[in-house]
Amino acid sequence: MNAIAVFKNRWLAFLMLLPTLVVLGLFLYYPALETLRLSLYRANFVFQTETFVGLAQFQQLLTDPAYYQSLLQTVIFCALVVFLGLAFGLSLAILANQPIHGAAVYRSLLLYPYALSPAIAGTLWLFMFNPEVGLVNNILRTLFGIAPRWLDNPILAFTLVVFAAVWKNIGYNLAFYTAALQNLPGELLEAAALDGATPWQRFRYVTLPLLSPITFFLFFVNLTYAVFDTFSLVDILTAGGPTLGKTGITTFLIYRVYQDGFQNFQTGFAAAQAILMLIMVGGITVLQFRVGRRVNYGA
Amino acid sequence: MARRVLRIALVHLILILAVLLVGFPLIFALIKATQTGSAVNSANLIPSTHLWDNLLSAWNGAKLGLYIRNSFVVAVGITVLKVVTSALAAMALVYFRIPAKGLLFTLILLTLMLPSDLLVVALFDLVNKLGWANTYQAIILPFAASATGIFLLRQHFMNVPPSLLDAARIDGAGPFRFLFAVLIPLSWNTIGALTLIQFIYGWEQYLWPLIIIRDSSHQVIQVGLKSLIGQASGQTDWGMVMAGTLVAILPPIVMFTLLGRQFSRGFILSESK
Amino acid sequence: MKRKLLTLLSVSLSTLVMAQSVTVEFWHTFGDPKRGGWIQAKADAFNKANPNIKVVPTFKGSYPDIMQAATLAARQGKPPALVQMYEIGSQFALDSGIFQPVGNVGPIDTADYIKPVLNYYTINGKVNSIPFNSSSPVLYFNKDLMKKAGLDPAKPPMTFGELTAACGKIAAANLGVKCFGMSLNGWFFEQWMAEQGALLANNGNGRKGRATEVLLTSEPAKRIVSWLKDMNDKGYYTYTGKLEDWDGSDAIFTDAKVVFHITSTADIVNINDAAKKTGFEMGVGFLPIPDGVKRNGVVIGGASLWITKGIPKEQAEAALKFALYMTNTDNMAEWHKLTGYYPVRLSSIELLKKEGWLNAQAPQLVAFNQLLETIPNEATAGALIGPFQQVRRIVEETIQKVFSGASVDAALSEAKTRADAALKEYNASVK
Repeated sequence: MNAIAVFKNRWLAFLMLLPTLVVLGLFLYYPALETLRLSLYRANFVFQTETFVGLAQFQQLLTDPAYYQSLLQTVIFCALVVFLGLAFGLSLAILANQPIHGAAVYRSLLLYPYALSPAIAGTLWLFMFNPEVGLVNNILRTLFGIAPRWLDNPILAFTLVVFAAVWKNIGYNLAFYTAALQNLPGELLEAAALDGATPWQRFRYVTLPLLSPITFFLFFVNLTYAVFDTFSLVDILTAGGPTLGKTGITTFLIYRVYQDGFQNFQTGFAAAQAILMLIMVGGITVLQFRVGRRVNYGA
Repeated sequence: MARRVLRIALVHLILILAVLLVGFPLIFALIKATQTGSAVNSANLIPSTHLWDNLLSAWNGAKLGLYIRNSFVVAVGITVLKVVTSALAAMALVYFRIPAKGLLFTLILLTLMLPSDLLVVALFDLVNKLGWANTYQAIILPFAASATGIFLLRQHFMNVPPSLLDAARIDGAGPFRFLFAVLIPLSWNTIGALTLIQFIYGWEQYLWPLIIIRDSSHQVIQVGLKSLIGQASGQTDWGMVMAGTLVAILPPIVMFTLLGRQFSRGFILSESK
Repeated sequence: MKRKLLTLLSVSLSTLVMAQSVTVEFWHTFGDPKRGGWIQAKADAFNKANPNIKVVPTFKGSYPDIMQAATLAARQGKPPALVQMYEIGSQFALDSGIFQPVGNVGPIDTADYIKPVLNYYTINGKVNSIPFNSSSPVLYFNKDLMKKAGLDPAKPPMTFGELTAACGKIAAANLGVKCFGMSLNGWFFEQWMAEQGALLANNGNGRKGRATEVLLTSEPAKRIVSWLKDMNDKGYYTYTGKLEDWDGSDAIFTDAKVVFHITSTADIVNINDAAKKTGFEMGVGFLPIPDGVKRNGVVIGGASLWITKGIPKEQAEAALKFALYMTNTDNMAEWHKLTGYYPVRLSSIELLKKEGWLNAQAPQLVAFNQLLETIPNEATAGALIGPFQQVRRIVEETIQKVFSGASVDAALSEAKTRADAALKEYNASVK
């Protein structure tokens, strides 16, 4: 990593890092530490009361079956959103990078959903999937005579939220994969073709490994997106429901944090949940970095 | 030859289908923005004639003009600062010999896991203590650094051909000359891509501005747009909301159009040197 | 020189006037042009008539958003003088300690308010806030579809049993529509408890002392949930599947996909317009209630205006002055015509009658009668529960569980356990 370090002025380097370190330290690390502190208190943000309770709130969470259900749902949701997001992103990128007319037009049209705010995206889906007056059921009713209650059936509602979340981010993934594909070293692929590799073999053994750094990065971005940024989409589309077992099937961890923290103002309790989430996501990150280092992740 | 034509036709077909599916909600929004009353919240897909009325009432009702200007200031501010701080930090991480480099980089990357929405309460107290409530800097400076930006630029810098470095070394160029004369001209694509991502990030701010900004002269577009959506019970004029949405996504779409080329070229993340 | 002096003088004079003027920040939840615009217009008119006061209305998001922003501002020492808060946030607002009872700021003519409204906002014998946007749920029905099914639109169902029977006829008539489509909403559950004279929380609905128990396993509660289950099982009921989806359920009704709908009186104007556009005639009736109980009346819903504590006396007085102006006889009548929210003053109702707005055919009249016939008691005063939003959500989830097969008794007793725990947690966190 130090191989290309050419300048030796440590102070200058420090000065160059300083703005970043100040901003991240002051506006992210400091509030995060404050959150860690709050997780040990039964604190209500509005009443400004704080009672030290130690790890009681963590204990409460870790003995609550509803929390585990929510965790499991979050894991499945994230796995699906990340996997489908990357798979669709890559497939569309490959298609839209074929040497055909209008490829650039396709690419830019596929990018646009990314420009919509999650709240509006949620509203649009809500309109289209209204069981009685929504467009989707109108079509289904005409064609097949069925009209499912999309947001009332746990499986359908879950599926719908997954697809809405994947859809919202597809432009982002597509753009990154497009960039990577256009920068692939052509010689390698040609060499493979000359060696008689089939298109699938070329994809599997040449393209895919070459794409692993970008996949690694996108995994990261999509994971944080699925874990943290899908809140407003879920809030508008399903409001965490419908109920199945102990809690709503789309009540993901972040949704609980918002409910407890911003609707019920149980600041300490929400902080404890936030800390647990950070630990979990942090764990995945470390794991991913280990794996990432193995799959020829640059330099 | 016939097989090739067939294959291309198939690719077109799949792409057209994908564009229709992916783009449909936006087309839907466009149609809804022309309708009024209960037609909006229904399956009706026939464009109506109310686009102008809807645009007008959204424009006035949500102070779109003012808020779009504010959002523009905020999004541009965030973007510029993020690009500058990221470029400096990435350069320090790649081209300087500094202690604990790995740890610093990890600390920076870990912030990807700290979404500021979760930390809003502590952040509020801090920004108030700084006396920034109700100012642009309150919605810009907390977001002035970017782990994503540092990650991408670091990757990019590491892929700069070593020959250029040697040339710079022989010339005896200082770090800043190297940055401005060599690195930045080589990085326009990455910077363009980064600009696009961060602009959209800045543009979509909602929760934080809502809380920290009290006077509407500094408020941003997403808050204005959300204000069009009814709170108590169903009295929302969705035609107007969709019209407002169309206005609000114009700037990001313009950015896409302007920076699309950079965006699609900007991420050289392969390990090849 | 003289001129300079004069300018100086006028500048200092104007700063003097500035120093005397009071700014009243008013945070509200109506961002839409119709209602937000109305509030802004009233503020402009008020500012013109009172040059020494400057009211600045600001949209501040949803009610929880407002609560959060107001608390943060109070922590800063600069709270807005006037805040709009929804009715179920009353106990919470009280506990927050950032507000003062409006009765302490200045005199209020309480005799002019409709009784159930005043009852709601009177806590511990004190009027805490000025009633503003107020509503209650009513039955909406599609007259044309009723006729097609052989039902008499002049006699809408008044009880659960009658509604179920009507649904049976509609199903038999094969109109290709569902019968009943309200949003799944804890608010209606609360109303049906009050209609049966049942309390939602112990200690006199939390009005004699802090509530410590949510009464979700009572007979009246079971009656409501069992009926909803029956309606759903028979396929009479439909909803979007999302909790509290007001717009989605309104759309189902205004698109003539259901015959009956229950929602807030605040929607009368909009739904009526939409129904005309779709091409059917809408009717409004009393909220149907469980069979065999005496109609006790509804609880007022909506929001009221709170004045914050720790602000200068002139500011608080100016805030009250504006709140009373915005909700005066003429303005409340105007607000009602614009939105359908109740004009909460008796004098406004008189005015509307005199104007001929409330003639015998007006759908609004039903809503008024429902409110005016409400018997003032603890049940219709409404419950004071700190974590009300949480409790409401628990009730909604319980109904969903029952729809998907859970037994009514088991689901309700689990709901009670959860609600009581939330209440306990809340009470422990209050100062």
